Amino acid sequence: MLTDLEGAINNIIQVYHNYSLLKGNHHAIYRDDLKKLLETECPQFLKKKNTDTWFKELDINEDGAVNFEEFLILVIKVGLAAHEDIHKDTHKE
Amino acid sequence: MADQMSQLECSIETIINIFHQYSVRLGHYDTLNKKEFKDLVKKELPNFLKKQKKDDKVIEDIMQDMDTNEDETLNFQEFCMLVARLTVASHEEMHKDTPRGDDHRHGPGFGNGGQGPCPSRGGQGQGNHGHGHGHSHGGHGHGHSH
Repeated sequence: MLTDLEGAINNIIQVYHNYSLLKGNHHAIYRDDLKKLLETECPQFLKKKNTDTWFKELDINEDGAVNFEEFLILVIKVGLAAHEDIHKDTHKE
Repeated sequence: MADQMSQLECSIETIINIFHQYSVRLGHYDTLNKKEFKDLVKKELPNFLKKQKKDDKVIEDIMQDMDTNEDETLNFQEFCMLVARLTVASHEEMHKDTPRGDDHRHGPGFGNGGQGPCPSRGGQGQGNHGHGHGHSHGGHGHGHSH
């Protein structure tokens, strides 16, 4: 049985495939798929940057799609922001 | 927290919460020291770091490797890099013996499957189509530190 942490890690993989399997290559998230992903999974991250900006930033190898490793960059950014938010909310312990 | 969290947000929140469960124990409340990191690896990553968890020296090596600012503790940023590496490793494991081509399937990955705390909510995306996470055959699972 997986622990919560391990389950959460596997869930991240699942989130990626929810969008990468929509069409084309199984491990590619295209521009419009990324839009869906951002709108559904982390809409607050579209406030400062739009989908196009995100896409350019994440598609490091410039092959026109976000692969799994590139997607993890987004996850880390969302994670770090969420962590900062938590400490903003709760003052210092 | 937001009203209804997405699957991604929920997963991230779980990761942060677990980090904090250990980071508050000793020293600075927002970093992991050696002891805290060791406890976390042993209790929270028993399937993902199956081999490594038995050997304190190996756990220390992993920690040193993640400790990019060399302050002998892991902050959340550094911990995130471990999570990212484990995510890649688990994904690789799911594709061991399963095709990446036309028929996209996943094997059980590390450990024994199980959904974790953030089940998908349907709606957007394909849910579980073509995926085999969670259904397991015995627990294999090779550790992976890089």
